[in-house]
Amino acid sequence: MPAAAGGQVSGAARTTRLVETALRCYPARWRRRHGDEAAELAALLIRDGTPPGSIAWSYLAGAVREWLTPRPGRRLSAVACALLVAAGSVGVSAGVLASTVPARAAITNQGSRFVQCRPGPSEPVPDVIAAPGRPRVISWTAGHGQSC
Amino acid sequence: MAVSRHDGKAAQDVLRRVGEASVLILISLADGPKHGYALIQDIKELAGVELGPGTLYGALDRLERLGLIDALPADDRRHPYRITAPGAAALRVHLDSLERVSAAGRLRLRLGGI
Repeated sequence: MPAAAGGQVSGAARTTRLVETALRCYPARWRRRHGDEAAELAALLIRDGTPPGSIAWSYLAGAVREWLTPRPGRRLSAVACALLVAAGSVGVSAGVLASTVPARAAITNQGSRFVQCRPGPSEPVPDVIAAPGRPRVISWTAGHGQSC
Repeated sequence: MAVSRHDGKAAQDVLRRVGEASVLILISLADGPKHGYALIQDIKELAGVELGPGTLYGALDRLERLGLIDALPADDRRHPYRITAPGAAALRVHLDSLERVSAAGRLRLRLGGI
């Protein structure tokens, strides 16, 4: 039946594309070394009845590990850097949100402007610029929008 | 007589932290070179573990970096791998260590009457 045959062909093409996409996630050096063999291995495993999704997933996880594995003489790769930056941004955003909400709630509920402060470190901190003539103080109730 | 772990003469078990997949690959290669597909089939047969292809290549690269296996010249598109002399030695040390732990475990089960 032509329709069924067409469906099988498109299914096979989709499977091949899935595995190829996963293999494209590896670094170029890895693909030069293992790419052809890995594609052939995937074809053999699919022929044996292994679900293509699990093969693609395995390659995808392998690609992530490959990018994140430090190699001698290789600096942290661009993708690893991007992942770290993304993770850092999420963490910072979550931290800002978490600290802002209770502070706002406290100001709204109490109606007072009580701010608890602690003195800063005695050593200069690169990210903290002291205003001339003012003591360096770090506010521990973040999000209230004022310095001490 | 079992060699004591604390006698200072026992070789270091470098395979302790490489993961199960790497150990299974070395065991599979112990009787001769194999390529990726043959490794997966053999490991499935000998240990009942189905290695994913991504896991396989990760472990092969790690073992090659450690000098425990060698990639042979490609046969068509497939690279056969073989265990090196340090690889065989490391596998022997690891299996000895597993045997000692296994024996101790069995003994304790007996002593505990379980």
